[in-house]
Amino acid sequence: MTELPVLFPAYPEIFLAIAIMALMMIGAYSKAENTLGAVSALTQVSFVVTAGLVLFVVGGATQLAMNDLFIVDQFAVYMKLLILLASLLAVTMSNGFIRREGMAKFEYPILIAFATLGMMMMVSANDLMSLYIGLELQSLSLYVMAAFQRDNSRSTEAGLKYFVLGALSSGMLLYGMSMVYGFAGSTQFNALANAFTADTGAHMGVIVGLIFMVAGLAFKISAVPFHMWTPDVYEGAPTPVTAFFAVAPKVAAMALLIRVLVGPFGGLVAEWSQVIVVLSILSMFIGSFAAIAQSNIKRLMAYSSIGHIGFALIGLAAGTEGGVEAVLIYLAIYLVMNIGTFACILNMKVGGRMVENISDLAGLSKNNPVMAMLIMVFMFSMAGIPPMAGFMSKLFVFKAAIDAGLIALTVIGAVTSVVSAFYYLRVIKVMYFDDPAEKLDSVESGAMKLILAVTGIVTATMIFYMPVVTDPAIKAASSLFGG
Amino acid sequence: MITGIVFLPLIGALIVGFFGRALGDKVSQIITTGLLMVAAAMSWFTFFDVGFGGNAYTVTVLSWVASGDFIFNWALKVDTLTAVMLIVVTTVSSVVHLYSIGYMHHDKSVPRFMAYLSFFTFAMLMLVTADNLVQMFFGWEGVGVASYLLIGFWFEKPSANAAAMKAFIVNRVGDFGFALGIFLIFVLTGSVEFDTIFAAIPAVADANFVFLGMEFNAITISCLLLFMGAMGKSAQLGLHTWLPDAMEGPTPVSALIHAATMVTAGVFMVCRLSPIFEFSEVALTVVTIVGATTAFFAATVGLTQTDIKRVIAYSTCSQLGYMFFAAGVSAYPAAMFHLTTHAFFKALLFLGAGSVIHAMSDEQNMMKMGGIRKLIPFTWAVMLIGTLAITGVPGLSGYFSKDMIIEAAYAAGSGAGGYAFWLGVIAALMTSFYSWRLMFLTFHGKPRADEKTMAHVHESPLVMTIPLAILAVGAVGFGAVFAGDFIGEGYKEFWGSSIYIAEANNIMKEAKQVPSWVVWSPFIVMVLGLVLAWVIYIKKPGSADKLAKSFSGLYAFSLNKWYFDELYDAIFVKPSFVIGRFFWKRGDEKTIDYFGPDGVAARTKDGSKLASLLQSGYVYHYAFAMLIGVVVFVTWYMLSGMSA
Amino acid sequence: MLDQLLSEYFPILVFLGIAIGLCVVMILGSMIVARQKPDPEKLSAYECGFEAFDDARTRFDVRFYLVTLLFIIFDLEVAFLFPWAVSLGNIGLFGFWSMVIFLVILTIGFAYEWKKGALEWE
Repeated sequence: MTELPVLFPAYPEIFLAIAIMALMMIGAYSKAENTLGAVSALTQVSFVVTAGLVLFVVGGATQLAMNDLFIVDQFAVYMKLLILLASLLAVTMSNGFIRREGMAKFEYPILIAFATLGMMMMVSANDLMSLYIGLELQSLSLYVMAAFQRDNSRSTEAGLKYFVLGALSSGMLLYGMSMVYGFAGSTQFNALANAFTADTGAHMGVIVGLIFMVAGLAFKISAVPFHMWTPDVYEGAPTPVTAFFAVAPKVAAMALLIRVLVGPFGGLVAEWSQVIVVLSILSMFIGSFAAIAQSNIKRLMAYSSIGHIGFALIGLAAGTEGGVEAVLIYLAIYLVMNIGTFACILNMKVGGRMVENISDLAGLSKNNPVMAMLIMVFMFSMAGIPPMAGFMSKLFVFKAAIDAGLIALTVIGAVTSVVSAFYYLRVIKVMYFDDPAEKLDSVESGAMKLILAVTGIVTATMIFYMPVVTDPAIKAASSLFGG
Repeated sequence: MITGIVFLPLIGALIVGFFGRALGDKVSQIITTGLLMVAAAMSWFTFFDVGFGGNAYTVTVLSWVASGDFIFNWALKVDTLTAVMLIVVTTVSSVVHLYSIGYMHHDKSVPRFMAYLSFFTFAMLMLVTADNLVQMFFGWEGVGVASYLLIGFWFEKPSANAAAMKAFIVNRVGDFGFALGIFLIFVLTGSVEFDTIFAAIPAVADANFVFLGMEFNAITISCLLLFMGAMGKSAQLGLHTWLPDAMEGPTPVSALIHAATMVTAGVFMVCRLSPIFEFSEVALTVVTIVGATTAFFAATVGLTQTDIKRVIAYSTCSQLGYMFFAAGVSAYPAAMFHLTTHAFFKALLFLGAGSVIHAMSDEQNMMKMGGIRKLIPFTWAVMLIGTLAITGVPGLSGYFSKDMIIEAAYAAGSGAGGYAFWLGVIAALMTSFYSWRLMFLTFHGKPRADEKTMAHVHESPLVMTIPLAILAVGAVGFGAVFAGDFIGEGYKEFWGSSIYIAEANNIMKEAKQVPSWVVWSPFIVMVLGLVLAWVIYIKKPGSADKLAKSFSGLYAFSLNKWYFDELYDAIFVKPSFVIGRFFWKRGDEKTIDYFGPDGVAARTKDGSKLASLLQSGYVYHYAFAMLIGVVVFVTWYMLSGMSA
Repeated sequence: MLDQLLSEYFPILVFLGIAIGLCVVMILGSMIVARQKPDPEKLSAYECGFEAFDDARTRFDVRFYLVTLLFIIFDLEVAFLFPWAVSLGNIGLFGFWSMVIFLVILTIGFAYEWKKGALEWE
């Protein structure tokens, strides 16, 4: 009779998995009229319950589970809450759109839930194998979601591209893992950390494996040069799916990257930080320069997200506790402002038909001043203009980088930030100074209005209560560094 | 009390400035004028309290700067000197506010005008209540801004804009000197607060510093620099060119800013800093010579001008010269006294001139006036009082103050004093002449205006005549009432510690003991000037033209204001334009913009095109990019690993 | 460093050599020993469903894919079951229930696809 392994820390994930399977059965066998509505609502409830379990039942004390494959600490709690929040809002925001655009299938919220489960596994991974399982669960769900509007050629194209390139990146990741395993003799993070210490240095093979792993993960956060899929997929995928893509998977993959680099490869910080610096610089450059030429707002947001990842990577490149802390703060703020922006994009429709060109926003300040004001807040925030939240996030990463002596990187960050301000401000210019285009429809639902209002207000006033984000981020970062 | 005096005008300016449009013209006028009158009443109270009760005090508003050793407060210093300025500023300002209600009646932006006036008054009060040099500089620049705004009040007129800029730019030259002077004083004494500076000055009186291999007395240099600021603000010779042009502003502005208050700030500053100036004989000599020369120069120019306001402007310039040379011979009380009396009669003359212009349908050329005495008798009467006062008819204000200055210059006994005395007497002759010329040309003789204008001539409304009456009372009586305290036996008790005259210097007493021909000379030249003007303009009209022809060189020299504008234009303005154009076209557009902003923007666009080109849409390109990325990273580590 | 890295792959090189050698031996063996009587059918590669030497970009029914994918899932399930069955004695009750949970999850998936009609050709 073998002893039962510890499962308690994984209760939220186990609950969510069971809930999803139950919902799948409900969806498949329900004869009710509004199956989608019911499944959506129940999915949202499950997210809330899961968040409750994460926060109150399991808590933030560092504990291992499932024969050390699984870890819970402050970092995981912080990340899981961000992910659950993003998923919850994504489901809420999608409701109107999927009904209008012929995507009203109950699988939609379930796929989001599966992806969420995968992401939660990712941030709690403590072993290369559990890492990969979580990552694939997430990725496969996302591939399907990208192609969810299967009668739309752009959507299927996006799904296929994402799938093919995603498979390539998974291949790289696995290849890197196998090399690391080959040199360390273990896939367990703690064992890897013991094997790779700064004093002993690393075998060239380990470095190569590490690079392959970083490449695989960089694909998920769409860091340049592994970003090529992002604009096409963001543009092609249905808008609420894009909204989901832009936040939750980014946050989760970033969390995973941080956990892998700081945990098992913490001893090799000198090696990997060079890679991260290059990724960061390239991402910031492409994110700011390529976006200038875009006319489609979803494509613009794709480049914007690439740029933001570049900025977040600055903090990781510092390789310090302060740097990780800055990244965590960055991700939280990024989440809020991106959700808000996509909520605005989701409301860009003329006579019930979605429009997604920047020029469609022309003269919005006259047609819909509240919406124009909100978009302005988000754009200012993304551009990093004080006193918006986006300014604080950039401030923190730059500060961390300067503390770590990465002056050149900080300067590049500031310069590209100026370049990127150009296209954010262009959106504002179009809204406020161009002749009015067709009038946009009014905001569709109360929930959407609430999301818009809350994200807008939070983005604009975050600066007054930064500790709400910074305190948990500090705890999370210190839990990673064994504090 | 003092806080109220200083901040009431500011409150008025803010309310009317921001909400004037909503409040309407009437309410705006009432608010600003009312607040100013309250401030004026409080000022008179303060004046008697401080000047005769001896209750000098300082109120700290807030701590302003505390940076290392550079510490000072924003404080309001009230002593006799300040109190005198307070009554001058608030009284003239409140009558000008009142007068403006009538004068600016037709203007389309009345609230803006009233707000500017009140703002100016606040800045001026800031200046006179300063308890340190930086605060004084703040007020100094504040009045400069207000002056700029008010000269250019009718900004649709290009000439008004040009005049506003000229005033601002010429003042920058003086202010630069003032700022340098402040720096030097700070370096010498380690403080910018008056009390600390004054206490420290005797100890550093002999301090020298070496510049370009030459040794200079530090106090002298700092006094000269500070005086440079005073020259700019008070339109002394060299930096005077802006004042006549400033007449482009509305006439009440000329009366308030360019006659009674702002332009006297330089005199006030020299008196306030008398504890410093007293330690530099060289600086005082320079002040005397510049003042005397300005008095003479401006008077000669005033002889030939035809624009009624320009005549008064040059007259102002000349009178400021008197005040400076009084200060230069250490007769600071006399300078301050003349400042006060001058404020009354000069404001009176300006507002009277405004009333004339108002009556003459905005005509300012005296050659097109004449013969309107009967039509506007009240204006004529107050202008007559102003003229009698400025020419120094015994009993009126100007008599006491100007004669005291001339006597003091004689009593100084020094070369500069003698120079000032003679130029002062000659200037007094010319003052009398051009003042009467103004009166005769404007009010007497045959009408030279067209019939339509003449038919229109009318006396101004009550809101304009009441201020004139108030000022007339001041012009008549202020001198007689306060001469004993300001410059007479009791001057020491009156001024207290606010003015410092070196112990050994008895100028105030000696000025009373000059020979009687010196005492009589101003009166004689005054009568001479009156007679000359009467002969030329009333007895034999047309003789002026003959005279101008027979002395055409001198006449042109005076008419063209000694060619100062032309000289400056050739030396400073044109070269600046050439240099500016070079830097603009070549330096900025062709170099900095081309390689800087424009170039960067163009490259950014290219970069964005390139970046979008990479996005081909083909999966195999994307996959290729990923693989290239990995290969580059791996190669990088292989190579760096091997070299390590 | 690089030499060391490469030398570690020496066993693989040996393995490759043996594999190639074995192939050569088998092909040569069959050529020498067996009777050679070729015809076009015999020479074509063994492949079911499609023409072996045809354009790869032909259209075919997408339902083939669906069936294949579903087949593979359950194929792999069986692949998991074999080692589990063999080692059941060592992994005990926990091992047993783990597999049962795994099978339940699979069954839920199966129920779903059945209900959605993925198993019906028409």
